[in-house]
Amino acid sequence: MQNNAEIILENQYKDKNLFITLIVALCFILLMPIIGVQHTIDYMIFCIYVLGYNILYGFLGRLSFGHMLYFGIGAYAGGLFARYIIPNPLLAMLVSLSAGALIGLILGPIIMRTTGACFALINLAFNKIGFFLAAVAFDKYTGGEDGFPVRYIKLDFLNFYNKYVTFFFVFICLLMVFYILKLLTGSSFGLIIKSIKEDERRVKFLGYNTYNYKLIVFIISTTITALAGFLTTINYGYVTTGFIDPNRNVEVIFAVLIGGADSLYGALLGGVIYMGITNYLAIYIARWEMFLGIILLILALKFKKGIWGYLEIIKEKVIKRG
Amino acid sequence: MIPFNTIAYGLTIGAILYIVSIGLSLTFGTMKIVNFAHAFIYTVGAYFLITFLALSQNNFFLATIIAVMLVIPISYIIERFVIRKLYGVSIDLAIIATYAVLLIGTDLIKWVWGTSPISLSDPLGGRMITFLSISLPLYRIVVILLAIILFFLVSLFFKLTVIGKIVIAALEDKEAVRSLGIKVDKYFSFIFILGSCLAALGGVLYAPIISIYPYMGSSLIITSFAVVIIGGLGNIQGTAISAFVLGIVMALTGIYWPPASEVVVFLVMAVSLIFKPIDV
Repeated sequence: MQNNAEIILENQYKDKNLFITLIVALCFILLMPIIGVQHTIDYMIFCIYVLGYNILYGFLGRLSFGHMLYFGIGAYAGGLFARYIIPNPLLAMLVSLSAGALIGLILGPIIMRTTGACFALINLAFNKIGFFLAAVAFDKYTGGEDGFPVRYIKLDFLNFYNKYVTFFFVFICLLMVFYILKLLTGSSFGLIIKSIKEDERRVKFLGYNTYNYKLIVFIISTTITALAGFLTTINYGYVTTGFIDPNRNVEVIFAVLIGGADSLYGALLGGVIYMGITNYLAIYIARWEMFLGIILLILALKFKKGIWGYLEIIKEKVIKRG
Repeated sequence: MIPFNTIAYGLTIGAILYIVSIGLSLTFGTMKIVNFAHAFIYTVGAYFLITFLALSQNNFFLATIIAVMLVIPISYIIERFVIRKLYGVSIDLAIIATYAVLLIGTDLIKWVWGTSPISLSDPLGGRMITFLSISLPLYRIVVILLAIILFFLVSLFFKLTVIGKIVIAALEDKEAVRSLGIKVDKYFSFIFILGSCLAALGGVLYAPIISIYPYMGSSLIITSFAVVIIGGLGNIQGTAISAFVLGIVMALTGIYWPPASEVVVFLVMAVSLIFKPIDV
């Protein structure tokens, strides 16, 4: 049951959210002619992944070191479904999203009971198990380290061999994810998960069952991450163990930190910046791991709020002065 | 039939896991952070060993001591300028920072020593000891014995010395110890350096058994975390038991399905967490 205050709160924010989503849409459309269609698709998929990660880290305050597992589950579920059952992209997407939600529902009760360092490690441990299952245990079906190709059939106008169709499909997915998360974080639900981040005991004290909230956030996060994994199969047309590789977890952490963990815009900005660095700077950087490490160290020690966080501070200062 | 030989090999893995895990368990228990930099210290210890083996005309004992000593300033720098800066600010950022140190350190190792794996010969000349149908290289027996001796030394250290007692008390309740006027952080950094030395020793001892490569630490560290979580944070006895048991489990899995030997540890960890959740 919603009480009146909540309904008023939601109505007030709905128009504003749509407006903001449109601005985000415009930004990505403007990005397309600058960096090309293929790059924009890559950037948008990565942004979906970062958004899914950020709802867990930025809003609930749980640092996962194994989110590639959920990304990989989305990719493998969609890819295997298309390969062995029906190569229908929409059905595969449904399977992929359900797989993401299901894994959240199964692992959530184990994982969400822990916090802090244990949480980070348990995700990593499950990611290792997932990688092993995909690369070794079921290599008859998944092709092991080499992976397998994924071909989706054409559905009327949904022809993913056309890059522009893929672009608009991913684009709409990104906007929907962004809009839903914007609604969610602006609602009373969002307030409660932010309060859990600050002090879980007090929220419990107010009579909320914090465990349910945490579990729901975890499932939302795994489902969105699985969506990003599925979109990658559409974009590249294959699935390999690189999509579930535990060593790639640092990418999304890097993106969230550089963008700023406290907001959705920070997540989008971080995703675009990380992809920009890998696309345009990686060729000039001979020692890639060291570069990532040094930047991460600077972000963790001196630049804690990320780029968006500092932009907001500057904005507040300007407003105060004006 | 019980495969005694495999169990004996598993005990060697357990011994190395134990030596590496002591430091992790203590930093995990006292500071509540996952120290990924531990993996770097472990790897760099092994690389120091090969460098000083060449310089000291294959004197394994001398090279070991130098390698372990050289780790002290490195771990001091990590503790002083990375972990202590974030300690009390944010656990998550501290974990990310230690991971950044691991990335930087691994790349430095690749820069200095190259990426190709390096194999070492058995420092005891590959002598075998046969006992009741179990045939085991002497070197492995020495490693197991060293781990057992270390276990008693560490236990005595925590029972008898003042530093040890303070750390045990701080594991229970840090604020209470601090309110007695004891600078807990100073002792934590001592424990951190001690744990790092043991990690380097673990790397040195394991080097002749497996080949040395830049990512050896990254792959062992997660197994080692599993040991710590199963054994209980900051629990010296628990860590020892879980290290040896997991070593044997890994070796036994290795006979039937070699690629699964690393993963089985995480399954054990997941099961143990279902029954005994840890709230840090």
